[in-house]
Amino acid sequence: MDEQLNHAPCGFLTLSEDGFILDSNQTFLKLLNYSQDSLIGQHVNFILTVPARLFSQLYFFPLIKLEHRVEEMYISLETSKGEEIPVLINALLRREKERTVLECILIPMRKRNEYENELLLAKKDTEEALKAKHKAIMELKTTLKKLEFQKQELLELNQQNQKYKIETKKELELARIIQETSLTNPINNDKVQMEVYYNASGELSGDIYGIYQIDPYRYGIILLDVMGHGISSALITMTLHSLFQRLISAGYPVDLVMKELDSHLHKLFNSNEEARHYSTAIYLLIDTERQKVEYVNAGHPPAIWQDPDGTQYELCSSAPPLGTFEGVVFKTNTFTYRKGGRLLLYTDGIDPLISNYLAPLVRKTVSLSLFKLKEEILQCLNHEKNVDYKSDDETFILVDLK
Amino acid sequence: MDQNILFRNNVKINGKGTQSIIFAPGFGCDQSVWKSVAEAFEKDYQVILFDYVGLGRSDIHAYDSKRYSSLLGYAQDVLDVCEALDLKDTIFVGHSVGSMIGALASLSHPEYFSRLVMIGPSPYYLNDPPHYYGGFEKEELLGLIDMMDKNYIGWANVFASTVTNNPERHEVKRQLEERFCSTDPIIAREFAEAAFFADNRSDLKKVTVPALILQCSNDIIAPLAVGEYIHHHLPNSLLKIMDATGHCPHMSHPEETIRLISQYLNEESVSVEGSPAGRGVNL
Repeated sequence: MDEQLNHAPCGFLTLSEDGFILDSNQTFLKLLNYSQDSLIGQHVNFILTVPARLFSQLYFFPLIKLEHRVEEMYISLETSKGEEIPVLINALLRREKERTVLECILIPMRKRNEYENELLLAKKDTEEALKAKHKAIMELKTTLKKLEFQKQELLELNQQNQKYKIETKKELELARIIQETSLTNPINNDKVQMEVYYNASGELSGDIYGIYQIDPYRYGIILLDVMGHGISSALITMTLHSLFQRLISAGYPVDLVMKELDSHLHKLFNSNEEARHYSTAIYLLIDTERQKVEYVNAGHPPAIWQDPDGTQYELCSSAPPLGTFEGVVFKTNTFTYRKGGRLLLYTDGIDPLISNYLAPLVRKTVSLSLFKLKEEILQCLNHEKNVDYKSDDETFILVDLK
Repeated sequence: MDQNILFRNNVKINGKGTQSIIFAPGFGCDQSVWKSVAEAFEKDYQVILFDYVGLGRSDIHAYDSKRYSSLLGYAQDVLDVCEALDLKDTIFVGHSVGSMIGALASLSHPEYFSRLVMIGPSPYYLNDPPHYYGGFEKEELLGLIDMMDKNYIGWANVFASTVTNNPERHEVKRQLEERFCSTDPIIAREFAEAAFFADNRSDLKKVTVPALILQCSNDIIAPLAVGEYIHHHLPNSLLKIMDATGHCPHMSHPEETIRLISQYLNEESVSVEGSPAGRGVNL
């Protein structure tokens, strides 16, 4: 070995193909603190740490065999004192006359090694952090999936609800038509003239009325307001309707009609206190021949009778509402009238307007036709409703007796 | 034939024979390590080479950290290939951990295999005193994995870049590119953990397929004592001590490797060198 190579600033080592040490330079011997004699003939494993022995078997020898060259391989050596020295190896496989030699140069890299250790540590930390991040993202994704599932469920429920709502609306509309079909038409002839207004607050009304001509001279007019409004009240109006239609058309006396309706409600709710409803009602039987009106007002807002000269009388309640107390005696009230009188019946949806607006209005418009009067009342209703009043079922009946 | 598996495991079939012989690489290597040995068998055998998923030119997308966290995952690769090719009574040649992978595969489907050839096998690399000396302490194996990290094992082309400019070797260079060792650092590390910390000692006695153990001289990865341990616990096994040294005789000493495998496959009876008396098997 020439002097230059012997003292070159890097370790130089030749190995047999099997890994036995053939030669080394002084620099290398000094690095490992070995004498020439103690190294020559040893297997290279002798100067390698255990991991380096494994690594060289797994990578160094197969690689140099396959590629005849190894570059920049990191391994660790062990000095005679057991100190570990990280080195980089470059190696070359060279065929001499009869043998194959592996020539290696080795450069210690303590500082770089420490630096790389730090880098690897940082890399591992980063990988851990990345793993944790992935895990967190996965968890978030799971949560998101759950939320989306729940959202979907809500949407489906909402859809069902919507469908139900539409169906219900359709049903209610049909019910409204049925309820309105049960209403009678106003009667207009040479003796009487009528106008009716009927308006439910919702789809169905708790108000109901009936107008019947009993014989050529007599007319029955009834107006009821079942407490509350909506479906339950409307159902009760329908049972009452079928009853009063029969009674009035058959010409029963006023007090008896009211008595029957009262007992009907008591019977209806006899065994079901929770469902109990009562109803206010006013029934008038008008005899145009005798110019006489018989009536009973059971808890209903007073009807207004107006003489042709504009004098107004209130047909006040003389009994509690139907369905409240059992055994109530309904007493018929009677008055006679002059032709040209005017009658106004209404339910409590209109009641609050009566004293301030409608009564004076009716008086003021003695000469106005019924049709015009109805329009005026409606105008007044619409105007006031917007300002002050919650919507309730509204019904009124106007009658002129000629 | 399941083309998906053939693609996934980069299966290559060569040779003129009818009897199939399948070569399984050892730790971290792809099929190119068999080049010299496998070619010698093409005249008389149907030679099958493959890569484990995650190595060589396998379909890396099929890699699943959970499946390949144990050697059983790699054994399943072998079984998948056998099933895809409808192999029966094939000869399995495995190097290092590859031979244990073959032994594990034979446990669930012994009918796939007629012979196992195990080159430098070890059922357990760690020492387990007082009765078993695998050769290593845990820290030393962890040190190896660290050394892999510091050599950027798995970093693309790190080895291919070392190939010379020698035009004659150009073809070799191209073959080697990205192939010789794992191309993915995470896969390389997971394979190392699966391979070096596996304890398959209790599986040896369950193996029913006859086996040849090729034990190198001076192999620090699979020392002689380990080879003898396997021979002692593996029924129907034959132990051959090779002149070859080191851990990769199929690469460093292909001629001897070819000769011993051929002898084992051809001779009716093989004399047993360096093995406890009476444990040789008549074939």
